[in-house]
Amino acid sequence: MAEKVYAKEPATPEELANYGNHIVQYSPDYSFCTGCESCSILCGLTHEGFTGPGNSRIRIDLGTRSMVHTVLACQQCNDHPCYDACPKKGQAMKIDEKGIVYIEEEFCIGCGLCARACKFQPSRIAMKKNKDRKQWKAVKCDLCRNRPEGPACIQYCPARCIGLSEDSTFVSGGVRPAQAE
Amino acid sequence: MPNFSISDILDNPSNKQKLYGYCGRIARINLTTGEVSCLDTYQYVPKYVGGRTLIHRIFWDEVPAGTGAFDEGNKFIYMNGPTTGTGIPAGGRSAACAIGPSVLPEQFTFGNIGGWFATELKYAGYDGFIIEGKSDTPVYIKIEDDKIDILPADDLWGMRVHQTQAALEEKYGHDFKSMVIGPAGENLVRIASITTSNDCAFAKGGFGAVWGSKKLKAVTVRGTGMVAPADIEKVKTLRMTMNNPSMRPSPILHLDKLGVPGGEFDVQYDRGNVACSPGCNQRCNALLFNGVSAFEDQPVNHIEKCVSASTFSYKTDIPAPVGMFWPTKQNYCAPCKLLGRDFPAPDFTDPDFEAQGKVILPDVYDLWKPDYERGTIVNDLCNEYGIDKWEIDVWLQTWLGMGKKEGLFDGMDLGTGREVDVEDTQFIRTFIDNLVYRKGYYGNLFAEGMARAIREMGYDKYSDTIYHGRHSQMLNGQRLDIPVSLEGGWGQSVHWQGRGYEGSVEKPTWLAACLIRMLSTRDANTVEHFHSEFEYHAEAMADPYHSPNLIRAIINVQNNAEIKDSVMSCEWQSPDPWWPTMEAEMYAAATGYPMTAEELHEAACRSKLLMRAILIRNHGRNRKMEIEQVWRTMCIPDSWGEVADWQQWNEMVDLIYEARDWDLETGWPYREAYEKVGLKDVADEMEKLGYLPKRPAQRWHDYGEPPFVKFQEYQKQEAAQG
Repeated sequence: MAEKVYAKEPATPEELANYGNHIVQYSPDYSFCTGCESCSILCGLTHEGFTGPGNSRIRIDLGTRSMVHTVLACQQCNDHPCYDACPKKGQAMKIDEKGIVYIEEEFCIGCGLCARACKFQPSRIAMKKNKDRKQWKAVKCDLCRNRPEGPACIQYCPARCIGLSEDSTFVSGGVRPAQAE
Repeated sequence: MPNFSISDILDNPSNKQKLYGYCGRIARINLTTGEVSCLDTYQYVPKYVGGRTLIHRIFWDEVPAGTGAFDEGNKFIYMNGPTTGTGIPAGGRSAACAIGPSVLPEQFTFGNIGGWFATELKYAGYDGFIIEGKSDTPVYIKIEDDKIDILPADDLWGMRVHQTQAALEEKYGHDFKSMVIGPAGENLVRIASITTSNDCAFAKGGFGAVWGSKKLKAVTVRGTGMVAPADIEKVKTLRMTMNNPSMRPSPILHLDKLGVPGGEFDVQYDRGNVACSPGCNQRCNALLFNGVSAFEDQPVNHIEKCVSASTFSYKTDIPAPVGMFWPTKQNYCAPCKLLGRDFPAPDFTDPDFEAQGKVILPDVYDLWKPDYERGTIVNDLCNEYGIDKWEIDVWLQTWLGMGKKEGLFDGMDLGTGREVDVEDTQFIRTFIDNLVYRKGYYGNLFAEGMARAIREMGYDKYSDTIYHGRHSQMLNGQRLDIPVSLEGGWGQSVHWQGRGYEGSVEKPTWLAACLIRMLSTRDANTVEHFHSEFEYHAEAMADPYHSPNLIRAIINVQNNAEIKDSVMSCEWQSPDPWWPTMEAEMYAAATGYPMTAEELHEAACRSKLLMRAILIRNHGRNRKMEIEQVWRTMCIPDSWGEVADWQQWNEMVDLIYEARDWDLETGWPYREAYEKVGLKDVADEMEKLGYLPKRPAQRWHDYGEPPFVKFQEYQKQEAAQG
């Protein structure tokens, strides 16, 4: 039998120390991603009013043969290279009091430098076309910072396989972000 | 272009009713000419809803009588639904139709499927596509937003299902989603499927062979557009209320038992529960980790559904509680929650708890011993070659098992070079290999499907020979006769029909299942599972042939099947017997059109009538033809040793015909039935063709003699011999 590999490890203690509160995928022994993409679909509905691959701030790297899927969202890096790369930072890209990097879409010029500066592959910042399809805009997870219920992806995940790193006791290996710090 | 904003949808001049939820166009792809064009969806909706209802309308309009499954004129019509991609649970499924080569005789048939394909197609801007014509050389269709290309598939031709999926993904990237056929479809094996990357399949009907006949290996799609539901808050509410999702973690389970209750055996395996398509709030499919592969050295993960269970072990059939078909409100649980092992605790305060929880003990067959590895290989062969598991797991294997014990295969190897032995992995593997590649006499024969192969070998002997190893647990182990071939009508295997696989059910349930099958062209019980509220159970048990509420329930099941395949939901989520407006609410949330449950049921009647008209016009369907299809099944003893009564069965058929306003003698709908649901044009054409009956002065009542059934003659012969 081959070694059992069920899902990407969401974070190591060292990694967790470098990020702010962010979306994590739980260990499959706690809950296994069903591949329903509800997180991505509800993200689009919540932020844009519609669904579609370019309209979501969270994406699922589908294991189309293994059926083991990996949830990808902005990890809210403490050193925020995306923010640093933004030529309109402070206006198009901002950092709130909790350290969440977020985008003010109306000021985004769609240069894509933030997406390119992201240290992850694929980039956790997506580029979408705006409504008249003439301009690109950057979109990234802001943890639904203005939503009282918290992130929509977490609220509507039917398998409860994702959560916030600060609240989680079930990230892979049972690592708590607090312990990591 | 696909839609990129809500204004793109609402400003479309064709969208006069300002409907959300649709893309607005249906692609027409002609493989003979290479031409690609688009139909306007809005000319059909909301009247034809989407999905299967829309499919029926287009098929009626475009595919004439006389068209065969492998003819150039056969069309594969595929539709997603208005809920697809909206986040409404189960909307990620889709439907298709064609003349089905596995149906005996060849007829119009239909199917539905999960996977990520339907949603991606909607992001590309299409509510569906019509594939017509035939290519001379292998091709695949690549859809990327507006761009639809018909490309050479020489390098894909010959590949298995997952090889093809992987090759397309490697070539175009992870964002492309594909439906493909395997070698079975290429070789025009009549039971060939079309398969998504997560092993969802159009398996019934043999659509894979339709693609193979068109030299179409795959359709791959990527979309960058959007889908907008009209009422996002309602979508969110539906997500939290449809079948009451418990929203609880779903860990990988480390299990040590497999098999049906009472027939479990020891095996170590890990199981995850997965959804079949985007947006679902349930997880009914089983992901079995690290199973042996039929082709690769390394173990692979397998997605399996209920039918797969039988192939691991077949000592007994499947046990079923009465409440599975006759639930009470207090203890109703959607099947997806049962399959996903996510069911709520029983409500013991239910006064009918004990009655609806009573389990019908399944018949004992002793056909093959538990063997997880053998079963996994058989299932993997079906997945990878792209063939219908029902045909292999339920029909071929039981036939081999029963036939061997009755000595039918003495001195035969059925082209395998080995003794016929269903428990021998190498035998079954060689048999399936031969079938898929049409090797030798028997490979070529069984590539035509069980129904045709058995008729060619000699129907009386190879179908109706009595198997003497069936024992009823409901009759304290009494032996009951059953023929070696579990055929249930229209050339498809039995299913919840009172005998054979999933056969131990009460008479009202199997009468309903047989009636639903009779009126269809396929194993209807994978798309129209019978169920009725428990409060009508006693009435149905008292006189199952004449129960008004049983007839009402059958019509509800049929109509709801049309609805869920049109609005787009799934067999397990829909219907909820105690939420009759659910699908109308789903439709309204998706489109903004204030659909009522009554209007949706009228659309379902329209859809069903269009299919009825297609069957009559294209295939000469009538009462005699359909009754003969299911009668043989009902002549086999059920788990209590009972068979159907010819006179009373005909009276039951009368009741459903009358409820539908169909002529009793012919089974053809009257003009009023068509006109009542806005199908005057269909009635006019049927009249021109001579298929519009006149109401007789007196109620027709001439059932004649029941069709001859060889199995019954064998029973009489054995009884005479003592």
